[in-house]
Amino acid sequence: MSNGYLVVASQKESFYRLAINCLESLKDYYPDAKCCLVTEERFLDGRESIADDLIFCGDHYREKLWGMSQSPYDTTMYIDADCEIVHEDIATVFDELNGNDMVFHTLPKEGKPIFVMYDFTCEGKPEQFTYCGGVCLYTNKEFMFDWYVLYLKQFSKIWKPDIQPWDKLYYFDQTTLWWLLNKDFRHKDIKVGTFKDNLRWNYYNGYAELKMFPKQEVIINHWSKGSPK
Amino acid sequence: MWGLIEHRYKMRNWDKDAFWETPRKAVLNCISEREDGNKKIRQVHKLTEEDPLFKQCVDALGEEHIDENTKRRVNIKFEEQKKRQELEESKIKAKQLEQLFNYKLKTFEVEEIKLSQNRELKSKLRRAKSIPEVNLWAIKIMDDYLNSE
Repeated sequence: MSNGYLVVASQKESFYRLAINCLESLKDYYPDAKCCLVTEERFLDGRESIADDLIFCGDHYREKLWGMSQSPYDTTMYIDADCEIVHEDIATVFDELNGNDMVFHTLPKEGKPIFVMYDFTCEGKPEQFTYCGGVCLYTNKEFMFDWYVLYLKQFSKIWKPDIQPWDKLYYFDQTTLWWLLNKDFRHKDIKVGTFKDNLRWNYYNGYAELKMFPKQEVIINHWSKGSPK
Repeated sequence: MWGLIEHRYKMRNWDKDAFWETPRKAVLNCISEREDGNKKIRQVHKLTEEDPLFKQCVDALGEEHIDENTKRRVNIKFEEQKKRQELEESKIKAKQLEQLFNYKLKTFEVEEIKLSQNRELKSKLRRAKSIPEVNLWAIKIMDDYLNSE
């Protein structure tokens, strides 16, 4: 069984730079880590050699979903390109799987002020986004491919569930993820877990502003707010 | 005119949340409630010692009670201010970290640093805690790169 890390950078060169920084930081703290970079060929500048595996993708903003489905590893830790590894415990991430098919970072309620979207309605019923796709430990690549395909349908407005406010949610991959995990019968048996000490594994820079800290030291910093994209 | 004055001194109920606005107890902040026909009138006062309502309120609630309430209120306000200040400091710190991260990203784009294969020095730059420290490691990487050419 192979374990590895995967980062995707598409559409903008700035994502490629962020992805390189992310992978280099991974190797700073875990030199033996196997990692894969999914990116566009036009961005390559020699620094991609940091990756053990290289996969070329298209130029869509959400190539991340396709990239996740193409992972060369049995168990993959997907990390958003605008993340940075800051602790050697990154090597222990695969212990977090605990028999699940997927493990996510959960969005804590107290972090609502910094989230793009948290509350929404489905068929008139109030719902919340609980899982964040910023990092994801997974074994189920078929699910990732379904996520990608349904997202494309959602984005191109071929598929439109009764979810509101739709004008703000149709381009959001979290909308698709929520649907697949909660409404799609094909994935009813999928086992989803969450990271222990949740904030350690995906520490948004906005959490510090809200004085939200993990119990132990942060492992992954997520610079989603204010990083040059 | 007399009717109005009489009206002002009608029996009132005093809200227990009264507090001193000044350390010398010269101004009393309090709320009264009184009945006027079938209406209930709630009124906020800032009373000075010369006002007969001042004595009425102090007699009704007791000076000790107002002292205690003032102390409790000061503590709450102090805690609130401390929290606000801490939150503001956290925001500034988070902003500085964000700027440092972006500065490092820009530094990694300097040609000699981009081309450098010295992973150890690059790692030091990534772990730098301040902009001067980033600059220091940037110079070392450039120096190392130019010497290895």
